[in-house]
Amino acid sequence: MSEKPYVSVENISKWYPYKGDKLINHEKKFIKANDDINLSIQKGEILGVIGESGCGKSTLGKLLTRLETPTAGDCLINGVSTKELIKNDMKAFRRSVQIIFQNPFDTFTPRDTIEQILLRPLKNHNIGNSKEERRKLCIERLEEGGLVPGEDIMKRYPHELSGGQLQRISIIRAMLLDPEFIVADEPVSMLDVSVRAEIINMLLDLAKLHNTAVMFISHDIALTRYISDNIAVMYLGKVVEYGKADEVVNNPGHPYTKALISNCASIDPDDEREEISITGEPPTPLDPGPGCYFAPRCFMACEKCLKEYPDKKNLSDTHWITCMNAE
Amino acid sequence: MKEILRVEDLNVTYQTKSKSIYAVRNAAFTINQGDSMGVVGESGSGKSTLAMAVLRLHDEKYTEITGRAVFDEDRDLISMSQTDMDELRWKEISVVFQRAMNSLSPVHRIRQQVEDIYRIHEPKASREEIRERMISLLKLVNLPERVYDLYPHEMSGGMLQRTAIAISLLHNPKLIVFDEATTALDVVTQGQILKEIVEMEKTLNMTRIMITHDMSVVAESCNKIAVMYAGELLETGMVKDIFKKPCHPYTQGLIKSFPALKGGHHGKLTSIPGNLPDLSVSCKGCIFADRCDRAEKKCFEEKPSYKAMQNGRNVACHFAEEM
Repeated sequence: MSEKPYVSVENISKWYPYKGDKLINHEKKFIKANDDINLSIQKGEILGVIGESGCGKSTLGKLLTRLETPTAGDCLINGVSTKELIKNDMKAFRRSVQIIFQNPFDTFTPRDTIEQILLRPLKNHNIGNSKEERRKLCIERLEEGGLVPGEDIMKRYPHELSGGQLQRISIIRAMLLDPEFIVADEPVSMLDVSVRAEIINMLLDLAKLHNTAVMFISHDIALTRYISDNIAVMYLGKVVEYGKADEVVNNPGHPYTKALISNCASIDPDDEREEISITGEPPTPLDPGPGCYFAPRCFMACEKCLKEYPDKKNLSDTHWITCMNAE
Repeated sequence: MKEILRVEDLNVTYQTKSKSIYAVRNAAFTINQGDSMGVVGESGSGKSTLAMAVLRLHDEKYTEITGRAVFDEDRDLISMSQTDMDELRWKEISVVFQRAMNSLSPVHRIRQQVEDIYRIHEPKASREEIRERMISLLKLVNLPERVYDLYPHEMSGGMLQRTAIAISLLHNPKLIVFDEATTALDVVTQGQILKEIVEMEKTLNMTRIMITHDMSVVAESCNKIAVMYAGELLETGMVKDIFKKPCHPYTQGLIKSFPALKGGHHGKLTSIPGNLPDLSVSCKGCIFADRCDRAEKKCFEEKPSYKAMQNGRNVACHFAEEM
């Protein structure tokens, strides 16, 4: 990549200490939720992150928004280390990075009106000179996001609104401070099919309009392909494949991605896909072994796979995998 | 082909203190032996209500069910007494619920729960006999034998869901209802379980109703589909026909709101604007007219009747032929 990445994740790791059988076993153990992840996102780019539940997708999102502190590594936004940024100016960091959560019913205080919810961050960050000005901005943004009339929505409580409306407000709230980087953690998996497209398109439009970098975390492969420019596939805390969205879905290189896509239900009943089954549940991230983490479930694993973790292999300029057997 | 279930003019009304909610209205469909029918719709569209009515699992103090649901060509499930219904449950009709972690008792081993269920219909069955039967079923859903002696908390979500499916097969029922049985699962586990279900069906010749909000699950695992909206079945027919050429605007909208996995992009995703109508007031015209982009005056005034089309397809839309 010639252009300097806007958000760059450098060797970020999160290891949770494991307390399990400490009495008998004094060796310290860790659950490696995220292990040595390197990714980069350009301005205005949407990066999709897919994987099974428990593979560390959400942990990655939390690390990048500093809701969790990484064990090692750092994330750079526009060349500035977020670690330093947080030390110096917490508010500036919060202004530049925002997160949208999965369940819109849990993200809002049930006792506050939408007005109070939306005005609070503006006031905390000293945006707008008076309350009136802030209110105007909120109403403007609400109506921009299709919530008309904004005046009326502002007076409501969260329980008076539907899930789709709440999730839109959640996105609007995240965009209020004009962040440079948004993490969307499964923003539509709780929503009904008929409103899902609306939310996705809104996120897509806003990201392009404000030229924001977005990390879209989801387990829905078809949807991720639709919204993302690039896709990263995660397995047990590691990124195993990265590339252009169409490339990864149409022409997966890593056996895990192949299996994931072959197991994903498709809307087209005539769709013929390779039948690849993965046996068993994912192993615990406690001690995934020295070899490739996916090797025990992999259909093309050889002896070497069990011994050492494979290096990054480029399939094309924009597409890489970590697997030694795939060509 | 033998008919397993024929539902005619089924209405379900919930009674609350102040009003009645017409949760299912004039539902009609037929399922033959070996069929698998997917019932899809948004949340609140009455999919589960419909299935629970057929299974008679509603609290009958607050629910009024009218119409007929003929099971196995001669028995009407709706007019049957609960005692007679108990005779059928597990043995001829069984159900798998959405969250197996909640449908299995946390304080009993799988073994104890299976024995209880098995002895409802065969009180004299011995432990060994039941064990043998259950283990053969566990094999069918790709689970190891040791599951039989575990507690639910010792298993993962996928294993529990598989166990629940195995339990539902204990007495070899003629009809199984899956109420969002794969919704809470992971993509990979869901894919595997769907494949297993389809395989099993071939060997056991069972009949299945699959309630889900995920169109792709239906495309993947069913041969018939019923699209439900606000308590009415808008379109029923074969999966192949309906996915290729949906004739009801609502079905079209639903299909368009799912992105395709492969191939080129099919343009922008579209959503269906608006919300479900209030189910406590009866609607004069087409129930979907408020949200339909091609609704005309006729749609608001006159209720469309089912139009029979090719391959047993039924569409409730005035303009079905023009689609």
